[in-house]
Amino acid sequence: MDNMMKLADFILAEAKSLGADYCQCTVSESEKREFNVDGGRFSLMRTLFDRGVNVTVLKGQRKGTVHINRFDEDAVRAAVADSVAASESAEPDPAWQFAEGPVDESYTDGAPECDTEALFARTKELMADVTSRHPKILMEQMITEHDANRAVYKNSQGVTYRTVSGAYHFSLMYSAHEGDKGSSFYGSEVTLATLDKPVIDCALIERELSAVEKQIETQPLVGKFVGTAVMAPMALLETVVTTILGNFVSDMSLIDGTSIWKDKLGEQVADPRLTITFDPRAKHVVSGQHYTGEGYPAHGYDLIREGRLTSFALSQYGANKTGGKRAACSSWEGSIAAGEKTLDEIISGVEHGVLVMRFSGGEPAASGEFSGVAKNGFLIENGKITCALSETMISACVPDMLNNIRDISCDVLQDGSLSVPYIAFDGITISGQ
Amino acid sequence: MLKDVLSAQKTSFEAGMHTELRGQVNRQRRVVLLSGNVTSNVRSDVSGVSARVYRNGTYGFSSMAELSEEAAQRVLHAAADNAVFMDTHVPAGKPALPVLPSGRYAVQEDIHDLAQKVYFDFLKGLDEYIAKHCPELISRVTVASEDSMEKLLVTSDGMDGHTILPRSYCYVIMTAQTPAGVPVERFRAFGGEGTFDLNFTDPAALYEDVDRLYEELMQKRDGVYADAGRKTVILGGMMTGMLSHEAVGHTVEADLVLGGSVAGPCLNKRVASEKVTLTDFANEAFGKRCPLPVFVDDEGTRAEDVTLIRDGILVGYMNNRESAEHFGMKAAGNARAWSFSDEPLIRMRNTAVHPGTDKLEDMIASIDDGYYLIDSGNGQADTTGEFMFGVTMGYEIKHGKLGRALLDTTISGVAFEMLKTVDMVGDTLVWASSGVCGKKQPMPVGMGGPALRCQVTIGGR
Repeated sequence: MDNMMKLADFILAEAKSLGADYCQCTVSESEKREFNVDGGRFSLMRTLFDRGVNVTVLKGQRKGTVHINRFDEDAVRAAVADSVAASESAEPDPAWQFAEGPVDESYTDGAPECDTEALFARTKELMADVTSRHPKILMEQMITEHDANRAVYKNSQGVTYRTVSGAYHFSLMYSAHEGDKGSSFYGSEVTLATLDKPVIDCALIERELSAVEKQIETQPLVGKFVGTAVMAPMALLETVVTTILGNFVSDMSLIDGTSIWKDKLGEQVADPRLTITFDPRAKHVVSGQHYTGEGYPAHGYDLIREGRLTSFALSQYGANKTGGKRAACSSWEGSIAAGEKTLDEIISGVEHGVLVMRFSGGEPAASGEFSGVAKNGFLIENGKITCALSETMISACVPDMLNNIRDISCDVLQDGSLSVPYIAFDGITISGQ
Repeated sequence: MLKDVLSAQKTSFEAGMHTELRGQVNRQRRVVLLSGNVTSNVRSDVSGVSARVYRNGTYGFSSMAELSEEAAQRVLHAAADNAVFMDTHVPAGKPALPVLPSGRYAVQEDIHDLAQKVYFDFLKGLDEYIAKHCPELISRVTVASEDSMEKLLVTSDGMDGHTILPRSYCYVIMTAQTPAGVPVERFRAFGGEGTFDLNFTDPAALYEDVDRLYEELMQKRDGVYADAGRKTVILGGMMTGMLSHEAVGHTVEADLVLGGSVAGPCLNKRVASEKVTLTDFANEAFGKRCPLPVFVDDEGTRAEDVTLIRDGILVGYMNNRESAEHFGMKAAGNARAWSFSDEPLIRMRNTAVHPGTDKLEDMIASIDDGYYLIDSGNGQADTTGEFMFGVTMGYEIKHGKLGRALLDTTISGVAFEMLKTVDMVGDTLVWASSGVCGKKQPMPVGMGGPALRCQVTIGGR
């Protein structure tokens, strides 16, 4: 850490000598240990050693950023000079603003040290568990890894953060097969600070494997109807949350004025049961954000509280451009508040609809309208799942969906970063052949 | 250009084990203007060295953020240790890979590393034109982007190489509002292989394209929703390119075949109409240089074309050395890595449906009630061949004539079923190369094709 702190000091001094009014830098070192399974068999072990130097300068309210992965003095000096030259080519913008000190904080998160033998043992155990419990599952690819990071952030306004972090990550991509027939693929993931229990029992992995095993025999949906879509956590993130973040509440859409929520702050935009929180310090987050890209300390906040839009997800730059208020963090680690019914109870109340585990769709329009394929889906008729579906499309408009919530589950996905329930929405257009 | 500090390390490769040693630098340059505001102004140079060692059926890999003889030695040892770990803990018991023909492919010219001001000045000129000539926009985004991969490859057997693949693009995103106040967008990428100064000398060269994009947006502003259901459509060349890559290409990557893709049981069977031939081109197609040419891959295999579908019959997969041995096929240079710290994966290069003989106007005239789908924002497919493409520009076809523009929609289908419905193939090949394919690592790829008349399921209201 001492060498990285010295390098950060060198960068700030170098930028100042080149006439920069402001400089911030992040100096980091990382190590990754990784095992790969491909086509159901172990294929690869990787050990990676990397570095990073990010330099951002302001000169005359003009901003330039350079990233390299070398620590040698010549390369770093050149990177600072490049960032100053880049800033000189830009237009001035008084909206750039960064954190002011004094701040000097240190954090340690997750599992900074890798236990390689334990990681391999859990990987091998996971493969064995999948094979024995779910014999129809073929593991297309499994990547298990430990990432360790040490970083120093420092800016020229007296703000310093030191972070040491690490985590184990398990990513599974699989499908189910019987003879020549196969299901669509599905991906399960979890990030862990400890390896104290079998990975198959973490997050929703066991439940998701079981569901995919039931998707070998599918039926295409015939016709079109308006019904209920029960969105599993991944499908919910891929539709509703992505649209809200990408199109309604973030810098780009608010600065350019295309957000349809630009005048909705403080207003009811969703069913009162919906609360969306971003909180990198929440208990379920293994290794969350401590500071924003502009150097401000990261805290939790509600984006939507009981259906009311209580904050935008603005950076300080976005806030200055729009006259808004900077969000308390810039992390997407967060949660959607759970409801009271189990998934089974929710399904039992659906007359005609689909359970969507994954969504494969086009980019949502600025209006929040989207359409796409309901992947790994099941047909729900009279409160029961009747078959697995193929070639089924859903289309809807996110602002309408938020006001057509039928139920929110108490079952949640907790994957080390997010805590997300299943949500059932009425009024969804569901179509097939 | 990268200094060759790796060739001398060949003497320390362990005998009997296939070894690759690769030094690499990835350069990225990017400027973004959001309605005239500079929201991104970034340069990135990431470099290092990696080694991969094959031992009895599994690989060990290691990388370091340093390109030096000492770093090369360290990653060679670490990769060998990892290969031993795998062979000890999960022995695969496979024989050594067949030896490849040796040789060397080396580029002669360096790329031009431009000052950030070059990108910014061009973009400013383009942005000012859009601001002045596109009065109905509520937002405009212009992006200047360049990336390049320079690689030094030294192998125990196979080709050694020194390759550089630069590409550069300008992206224009326009947003207007429908009469009801709903935002609608159009997007287009301009550019291709080569550094920014070679592809973009004067913003005025793009004015005509910008005017056309704006006109399409104005049509889309008054557009209609597609009628959901199964329809006869004409896919434009860009859409066919997406189909070639996403819906078919991925299912015939040999690692995904081994992972259970639908292509496994379909080899040497009919998967498309006899009008469809699909090839993953290495560096030249129909007498012209491909959008993103590959001459040698990161396993040391000289790159050659791979015919995937010939006259509707699935005839091949894309392979790396190991999968080629498994399937009894020939490796043809598809094993590619994105960064110095990435291992080679089976990736597409320039994947395209071959053009046919039909004229676009005849294809449109042949449809009584359907759609002409021109442009796609994104696409996804899974190993069953079921695909989804976002459609960002299209028109109704009524009684053989183009009708109203469409609002954003989505099409879906199952590739090997949908391709059997192709009954007309256009005579003009269109390429795209501005995106990256995502498969553990990003990778620049080319994709292309002619217009196709076929049946798909379209989303809508």
